[in-house]
Amino acid sequence: MASNKAQKIHKPGASDRGPIFSRLIQFILLVALDIGTVWFLIKLADLGYFPLAAAVLIIAIFVNVVLLRKKAYPIRWMLVGLVFMGLFTIYPIVFTVWVAFTNYGESHLITKQQAIDQILNLTYLPETGKAYSWTAFKSSGGEYALWLKDADGNGYLVKPGEPLSQPQPGEASVGALDGQGIPESIEGYQRLNGILAATDKNLMSIKFGEEGKTIQIRSPMEAAELQPLYQYDAEQDAMINQETGTVYKNLRGMFTSSAGQELRPGFVASIKWTNFRDFFISPALRGPIVRLVTWNFGFAFFSLLLNFSLGLAIAILYNDPDFPLKKLIRSLLIIPYTVPALITILIWRGMLNPDIGVVSRVLESLFGWSPPWFTDQWWAKIAILLVNLWLSYPYFMLICSGALQSIPDEIYAAAKVDGASPWQTFWKITLPLLLVAVGPLLIASFTFNFNNFNLIYLFNAGGPPMAGTPTPAGHTDILISYVYNLAFSGSRGVNYGFASAITIIIFLIVGTITLIQFRFTRMWEKVGENV
Amino acid sequence: MSEPISIQPPRKSMRKQRRRSIIVRWIIAIFLIFFSIFPVLWVVSASLNPTGTLATQQLIPNNPGFGNYRELLNLDQFPFWKWLWNSIKVSSITSVLSLAITTVAAYAFSRFRFRGRQTMLKGILLINVFPGVLALVATFLMVSQIGDVFTFLGLDNHASLIMVYLGGAMGVNIWLMKGFLDTIPRDIDESAMVEGASDWQIFTRLILPLLRPILIVILILNYIGTYGDFVLARVLLRSNENYTLMVGLQIFAGAQFSQRWGVFAAGALMGALPIMIIYLALQDQIVGGLTQGAVKG
Amino acid sequence: MKRLVSLVSLLVVFSFVLAACGPAATEAPVVPTAAVAEPTAAVVEPTAAPTEPPAPVATLKIWADDTRTPILLEFAEEFRAKYNVEVVVEDLGRVQDIRTPMITAAPAGEGPDLFIGVHDWLGALVDSGLVAPIDLGAKAEEFLPLALQAFTYTDGKLYGVPYATENLGFFYNTELVATPPTTWAEVLDISRALKAEGKIEYAFGMAGGGYENLPVLTANGGYIFGLDDNGAWNPDDVGLDSAGMIAGVKWLADAAKEGLIPVTADYETAHQLFETGKAPFLMAGPWALDRIRASGVPYAVTKFPDDGAPFLGVQGFMVNAFSENILLAQSFLTEYVATQEFMQKIYDTGLRPSAFKAVAATMTDKDLVAMGEAGVNAIPMPNIPEMGSVWSAWNNGIALAVSGEQTPEESMTDAANQVRALIKGALAGMVNLPGSYQDQVGCGAQWDPACEATAMKAGDDGKYTLTVQLKAGDYEFKVALDGAWTVNYGSDGAQDGPNYKFTMPADGSVTFTYNPETKLVEIVIQ
Repeated sequence: MASNKAQKIHKPGASDRGPIFSRLIQFILLVALDIGTVWFLIKLADLGYFPLAAAVLIIAIFVNVVLLRKKAYPIRWMLVGLVFMGLFTIYPIVFTVWVAFTNYGESHLITKQQAIDQILNLTYLPETGKAYSWTAFKSSGGEYALWLKDADGNGYLVKPGEPLSQPQPGEASVGALDGQGIPESIEGYQRLNGILAATDKNLMSIKFGEEGKTIQIRSPMEAAELQPLYQYDAEQDAMINQETGTVYKNLRGMFTSSAGQELRPGFVASIKWTNFRDFFISPALRGPIVRLVTWNFGFAFFSLLLNFSLGLAIAILYNDPDFPLKKLIRSLLIIPYTVPALITILIWRGMLNPDIGVVSRVLESLFGWSPPWFTDQWWAKIAILLVNLWLSYPYFMLICSGALQSIPDEIYAAAKVDGASPWQTFWKITLPLLLVAVGPLLIASFTFNFNNFNLIYLFNAGGPPMAGTPTPAGHTDILISYVYNLAFSGSRGVNYGFASAITIIIFLIVGTITLIQFRFTRMWEKVGENV
Repeated sequence: MSEPISIQPPRKSMRKQRRRSIIVRWIIAIFLIFFSIFPVLWVVSASLNPTGTLATQQLIPNNPGFGNYRELLNLDQFPFWKWLWNSIKVSSITSVLSLAITTVAAYAFSRFRFRGRQTMLKGILLINVFPGVLALVATFLMVSQIGDVFTFLGLDNHASLIMVYLGGAMGVNIWLMKGFLDTIPRDIDESAMVEGASDWQIFTRLILPLLRPILIVILILNYIGTYGDFVLARVLLRSNENYTLMVGLQIFAGAQFSQRWGVFAAGALMGALPIMIIYLALQDQIVGGLTQGAVKG
Repeated sequence: MKRLVSLVSLLVVFSFVLAACGPAATEAPVVPTAAVAEPTAAVVEPTAAPTEPPAPVATLKIWADDTRTPILLEFAEEFRAKYNVEVVVEDLGRVQDIRTPMITAAPAGEGPDLFIGVHDWLGALVDSGLVAPIDLGAKAEEFLPLALQAFTYTDGKLYGVPYATENLGFFYNTELVATPPTTWAEVLDISRALKAEGKIEYAFGMAGGGYENLPVLTANGGYIFGLDDNGAWNPDDVGLDSAGMIAGVKWLADAAKEGLIPVTADYETAHQLFETGKAPFLMAGPWALDRIRASGVPYAVTKFPDDGAPFLGVQGFMVNAFSENILLAQSFLTEYVATQEFMQKIYDTGLRPSAFKAVAATMTDKDLVAMGEAGVNAIPMPNIPEMGSVWSAWNNGIALAVSGEQTPEESMTDAANQVRALIKGALAGMVNLPGSYQDQVGCGAQWDPACEATAMKAGDDGKYTLTVQLKAGDYEFKVALDGAWTVNYGSDGAQDGPNYKFTMPADGSVTFTYNPETKLVEIVIQ
């Protein structure tokens, strides 16, 4: 076996004789690439996207190492793929892991800074404060003046930094009042209607009037002597209510007073292992875990077995080049794979419906009985497997048809000479050789079905329900559908942090299985190499 | 059960046996075709049904008609052809690029021995079994952030969607391809190497032609996978004009309160046609590959 | 030969990666030019002005559903002409589809200024800081009070401008049933008679669980959450196991046992049965009118028997709290959306009763009028986030009772306990003493009701104890249950009572003993 092939190719010779010119081009390209990356990194850092910048930096370093180190020659063949994988597959996984240690979810969606900014923007109207309706005037220089009207209909003029005045029409360049008591014009200013005024994003933050008694616009209807309601005390990491003096301290992503009052909104905060701990300590959250896991394995295993068997059988049965109309047969059999599963799952749901579904109706007219596909747990499980079989066998049919072509005819011929029956040929030759290529896909398919949320969710949402469980769960719920349901039904809304934590636990389970199954792939690989 | 190509001239009893086997296989085929087609017939029925329901009691609905097709094709609000074109464009580009990445990488895994090879192979499989609950959120944030620097790679853009799809190119298909490569005898490359061919030459001139069946299979898998995706595309695409077909059809696929399953069914069937055409066109390539005995070690 | 490979791979890398890294790489293979060049679909071009229009002074982005988008586009054109403000409307499909993008996009600054939503999202959106309050001023008078109430959150602020309401109505087959029944018992009587004649198969199909059958449950006195003193939803009062709820579920289970209701709850089944005349009754919302009309079944809509109350859902416009144009968005709502012209247009195409008084008064569609009447006593869907904990448990409870696997008492008691457990969260059962001493004993914060270091341990006598080492000083604390502040007792043993106070004369240990019967804590300082 060529165990050191990479090195062998690298033995001096061809490469060192290469013209300097092409190596120079390589080098220039790499430098250009790096310059581009650095520019991109600076931009990202400027915008404050540090996690992404870090990811890009790591990938860029990796690319450089691979391109500069001769030993990494084989990696160059897959560099493009690895770059994309790093950015669009691994980065999201890292993100998921990070989320698992936070309270990210509804009520805790935004960053701490965003939450602080929002809370600091809250204002209150002190008891002595006055509220007015407002009309904006704008000077050619972009300065604003407000014409205010209080509840009694008195008009006032106010400009930033100047005290409130109560000019009469004609005074202080104020023009005649219209029917609503608002001046038609103010000299040097243009009257704006509500919407035009609102197009200025900064209008709400302008403080009109003299220091200490400033007036701010708070809505299209109202401007008032508003005071900021909260102040942030960085030392205590707390918000202090200016009206009541109550202190709200940061408690796991929510400013909370000592009396337990919470200040909305919450923000994303690290909560360490809490999500994991919650799952393990709380019987309510764990639910009927043993039953769920058992069915989950059963579902994944039987799905794989059935889907692969049927796909393989079809591939073998109609692999014969002389079989009449085999093209037509294959084309018809691939159809389930071409129609979106979203609709076909629901069609199956309709066909199996006990009251109106065609399958149930036909069975009923033939045998006077039809299975309770949706209310009996065993029939529900059979139904799920059936639908999954229908959805997935074309995939295996395709793959097996392709992989079968790698088995040289001579082997079959030799087997035939040896007098092997077709059945023996299948078990001794076809299947082992096929598994070389298809084996890993079986593992992947197992794990895919292990987490096949869409099918369960669309077909019967995990039903029928189990009786007497601490949390809602269904007989056909698999771990991931159970967990999603749980993460979506927390009292604080959707809890992504919890969902991520359980995802990681599920990954540990599935990953372990995968690694165990890996031993077979080694074996398969050896089989392959010995051909 | 399997009936490999016979080498010896068929004898009389064998011919009889063969005919019987063909008949049995035909019966099985009819049963299987019924199983595979029957639900699709109900999709057809739903597409002709004006009430927009999925659970009809008769295969031929009351007042069948092409109203759903008309609605899908005629309303300005639903640029069906544009969606279809977007889907074909995105799927074609993605599946070809993805196939290229997969094939080259699988070749390296199959033919070179380097440190970390097994680990990388394991890693690829492990990464692909990670349940990506939040991958969508992360991908969305990332694309939106990249888009703040390069608008053409931001949200609502086919380029970024294709890039995200390519992130899955280093997936389990590498294993499939590598497995296939492993069964191609190494003598082929070694003899070529003796003659002074480079790895790249061996790969492109000798190995690639032998890979045709599996290339086609992976191409079709990629194509169908991309074509049928609505989860990622839904998150990354925003404007009606840029939707792929599956995202566009989602408009009609309300959870339960929608009345437009008929339109969805019509769109799904019409959308299935390109895939069928591709499969029909490429079918011969899958089965016709190595068995012709073009190159044998 | 190695040179060739590395060069090729470099080039490939270069074209791929540089395509991602430099705007100069215009010919990158991954970038389909069509996608780049095209403007966003929904950008509204200004009205055909002969001259080049001036650049818009501001842009307002709206996320809407496919029914409302065309209407908004129409108004957008007018808005642009009048104020030179560009209104971009993005069609996100169905109304339900707007929520998730909002949650992911808004914090990242990718959200719209305005979006369409349903009132029961408020719990999640307000608590997450994603929506800004709205001041309708005097215009509030012009909306149905129930609709405004639905968009008012527990803090008393209004967060949406409603445009339509939706609730279930009671459909009956006018060919089979001459006069609509006024009690649920009558519903079954009529159905029994019709079934005996062989005209029907069932009375009605259950289209789902709790939501779809609420009028039966409320007619029996069932409720989901009680109200607190201020009239806001009280998540501590879960009514799934209330006598009324159980009675309602029992009614369904009995009807199913008798064969008057199919055991499998399914939306399609329920509608099919009604549309094909195999069931004379149906509880359905305005969304189903299209298909029922298309089916040709003779029908009418009316109030629910026994004054059963459905849920009320209210759709409306909300303002993204991260919008940079909050004032403009609000002005758009008050000046353009809250007008009769706009509301009329929405009503004309939306097939929902209007939430605007003037439009609701002139509704001509008799089904929608009837729907509105059926919804007069409707219960606004609770908009507190705890409602998320209810659905699965509630639906499962009903399904288990109807299938006969459990009695209604068992199944609904289970369901209620499941909901309580979900609301309490993982720390249910914890007795804690949050206070000012907590940072000394490893809690990392003070007044933390979920700190495990100060969780009390249950003794054999039913009392809970906790011993901690403290430095000299004055301290305060309270009793809190289940790791949250929801249930807490002060030094008087009453909910929300005053803090306990104690003084440590010197460094030492202190033992607290909590008696769950008196809800009082005994403090022993060593």
